[in-house]
Amino acid sequence: MAFSLLGGTGATVASTRWLRPLLFWLTTALLLLLVGLPVLAIVAYALFPHINEWSFAQPFSAIIPSLSDLDLLSAIGNSLVLSFSVTLLSVVIALPLAIQRQHLAESNGRLWDALMLVPFLIPPYIGAMSWMQLLQRRGFIEQLFGFNLNDLLYSFPGLVIVMSLHLFPMIYVAASQSLRIIGQRYGDVARVFGGQPWPIFFRIQLPLVSVSLLASGLMVFVLTFEEFGTPEILGSRFGFEVIVTSIHKKFTDWPIDLPGASVLSLILIGIAFAAFKTHGWLTKRFTTDIDTPLLTATKIEVPRYRSIIANGWFCLVAIPAVILPVVTIAISASQKTLTGGLAWSNLGLQHFIAITAVNSEPWQALTTSLLLAFGAALGSVGIALLVAFTLVRMQPKGLALLDFLSLLPNALPGMAVAVGLILTWNQSFWPMTPYNSSAILLLAYMTLTLPYPIRTLTAALKQLPLSLDEAGYVFGASELRVLLRVLWPLIAPVALASGFIVFAISSRELVSSLMLAPPGVNTVATYVFHQFDQGSVNAGMAMSLVTILVSGSIIRLGQSLTRSNML
Amino acid sequence: MNKLVTFLAGSLLTATTAIAADTLTVYSAGPAPLSGALATAFEEKTGTKVELFQSSAGKIMARYQAEKSNPHVDVIISASWGDALALSEDSDLLPYQSPNAANVPAALKTPTFVAQGAAALAIAYNPNSGLPKPAHWADLAKVEYKGEVTMPDPTKSGSALTLVQGLVAQNSDSAWQLFDDLAANELLVPGANSAALNPVLQGAKGVVFGAVDYIVLGAKNKGEAIEVVYPSEGTVLAPRPIMILKSSKQQDSAKAFVDFVLSEEGQKMVAEQFILPARTDIQAKRPGWDELTLIEFDMAAAANDSASTKEKFSQITK
Repeated sequence: MAFSLLGGTGATVASTRWLRPLLFWLTTALLLLLVGLPVLAIVAYALFPHINEWSFAQPFSAIIPSLSDLDLLSAIGNSLVLSFSVTLLSVVIALPLAIQRQHLAESNGRLWDALMLVPFLIPPYIGAMSWMQLLQRRGFIEQLFGFNLNDLLYSFPGLVIVMSLHLFPMIYVAASQSLRIIGQRYGDVARVFGGQPWPIFFRIQLPLVSVSLLASGLMVFVLTFEEFGTPEILGSRFGFEVIVTSIHKKFTDWPIDLPGASVLSLILIGIAFAAFKTHGWLTKRFTTDIDTPLLTATKIEVPRYRSIIANGWFCLVAIPAVILPVVTIAISASQKTLTGGLAWSNLGLQHFIAITAVNSEPWQALTTSLLLAFGAALGSVGIALLVAFTLVRMQPKGLALLDFLSLLPNALPGMAVAVGLILTWNQSFWPMTPYNSSAILLLAYMTLTLPYPIRTLTAALKQLPLSLDEAGYVFGASELRVLLRVLWPLIAPVALASGFIVFAISSRELVSSLMLAPPGVNTVATYVFHQFDQGSVNAGMAMSLVTILVSGSIIRLGQSLTRSNML
Repeated sequence: MNKLVTFLAGSLLTATTAIAADTLTVYSAGPAPLSGALATAFEEKTGTKVELFQSSAGKIMARYQAEKSNPHVDVIISASWGDALALSEDSDLLPYQSPNAANVPAALKTPTFVAQGAAALAIAYNPNSGLPKPAHWADLAKVEYKGEVTMPDPTKSGSALTLVQGLVAQNSDSAWQLFDDLAANELLVPGANSAALNPVLQGAKGVVFGAVDYIVLGAKNKGEAIEVVYPSEGTVLAPRPIMILKSSKQQDSAKAFVDFVLSEEGQKMVAEQFILPARTDIQAKRPGWDELTLIEFDMAAAANDSASTKEKFSQITK
């Protein structure tokens, strides 16, 4: 058992009998509403292809043709190989960085931490577009230096590199935090007894961070598995089809095959679910018992040469992961025309000026996206707090159902969520429906982003020893009081951090937005998509840059505010 | 925070009121400025509110399919004639002949739908690429264009499919031979229209085989160095159908909207976006009806074979 303290839940808890069932039913209801209903709709659709017309005709007719498609097998294989490779490369990029992070002075390190979040802010399809502009034949690199990396870019390794450079921050953040908290102290002890750096790393630090490596690695795995934009943009150039692009094809190529797409979505859900179950089993096997996970890192003196090496290492990663894409996007956004290439006379601010005109279409798209992202962050984290507390602390009857529901959204592609939400909410029997209003986008973003806060908050809550709660109960506190006065202040920073992730993802979500945006509403992603579609890549890039800067500053501002308030 | 609450409350409110109010819902496959302008002008003229959902042709159809138990859309403007044929075959469309369609060529109207305008399929080439200016479709299979040609994927773009169907209908053997030769010339088939055009604008490639002409002309108008060539042996039109759904509860407003799109005013707006207006009596801002050599073929018959046509094309260019 992972954290033995969790094994015996309190005989102490007797005071508030109503809270446990209330929380259980509330969280179950919320998850059923957000996740259960759309998934149920997809299942129904896969089984009854005419359920969208309220008919049970031709049951099961979509399953066999969809499954007997040979291309599907290769697409599933491609998805798995791609996800494994991206996860592996992301660990290879992130782990050394996380280790080097310990050798940096605090202010210096925070700066790098902030910079390492930038790749995650760049929407994947924009990142892919910028790599194309940079590396392809007659791209920026060739215009400046006379060579190109066209063949690497449009190949499997190229796809893996581009996706890893986008996703490694997830692993970096998790690994550097857990190294900071646990690795260092135990490393100190080993050092006192004459431990050498490498054995300390392999025997002590690596096992201790393995839990967070597994957890964040799995997140990268599933994110790669679900990612649509990059495989579509780069993979289609060398005939590499993954399961999500197959689903998308069924959704958008005539004849539209929604039941077939639902069948494929179910396969996707199944595989991602299996990944999480394996992960749960692995963590149980390999987790080490740590008595006091709340140990804080002490300040140690780092030799100057170590910090220079560490800084150099960060530079090495930051150049391809942050600087090159951002500079490319900025240049591209400032180009008057695409065909004009890299020339001073081709640079101007016209695409930015078009965005800043208040109440213009791009301006409205920007404000809509930011408001929706903020709403999604509030909603998603709020629900995740309830779920995490119920799952970790309440251990109610019916835990398995709740656990299942909390895992499900991890496995849902944006397209499937969109169709599930339409099938669910576009029914005349609802007295009131979010469909055909911006509220449906809010719902979609919350459904799609729920996994991040749920994962991080349950993990954080597990790290807090139950003895904290028990100390409260001993002095007669109610569960609610313990929740609000003891646990909330401790996990608030984690909640906030996961809220920022939700914010970043929601502010740029493309696939479900394209399907669900109500008439008359544009989001940043749909606006950019339409610009690209009409050959105005530069205008789309300008919008993307503004969004990256705005949401980046909001996140930065939020972080500095919390630092001054809470820590 | 307050703004957020009003925003969310407001959106919920519109959700409930939208069902009751007398609004016309239009799903339109671009170009966004055109649909927006048509909707605004129609609102001003008639006082009927227009709710516009703007997306690609495929996503419009996906949304329409998913909504079938409770349809919302009154009018669809698609970029794909095939979509309209399919809806018509399922008898989802309301038969309607607009009085304003009198000057629309017979090939571009059926009892249930009519073209709002049309794009022609063309060769788009980047004069900065240093390539010779192509004149014929077959030129692009020549050695000077090796590795320089892109083409939108007929499985993802209705207009590219129309081009393949047209060339095959004109001369089946030479058309498939041409695609073989193009494939041997390292033809790149990267995705839908923008995926084929953007590399040519960026200079990575030199020529598009089968670009949608109004998008290229629009880019040229914005200052891009890009030229459109209409091969003299003929090209095909990709008509952009407008149709009223049988399920529409606003059939009168829907008819009025179709009338407006086909009115002189509406057709001039279509022309503004470099699209060929459906009415032959409206001046186009691009090569017009009399300047294009068109391949005539039975689009309905070609639509029946579209699955095998796509399959064959994919096999060749794989």
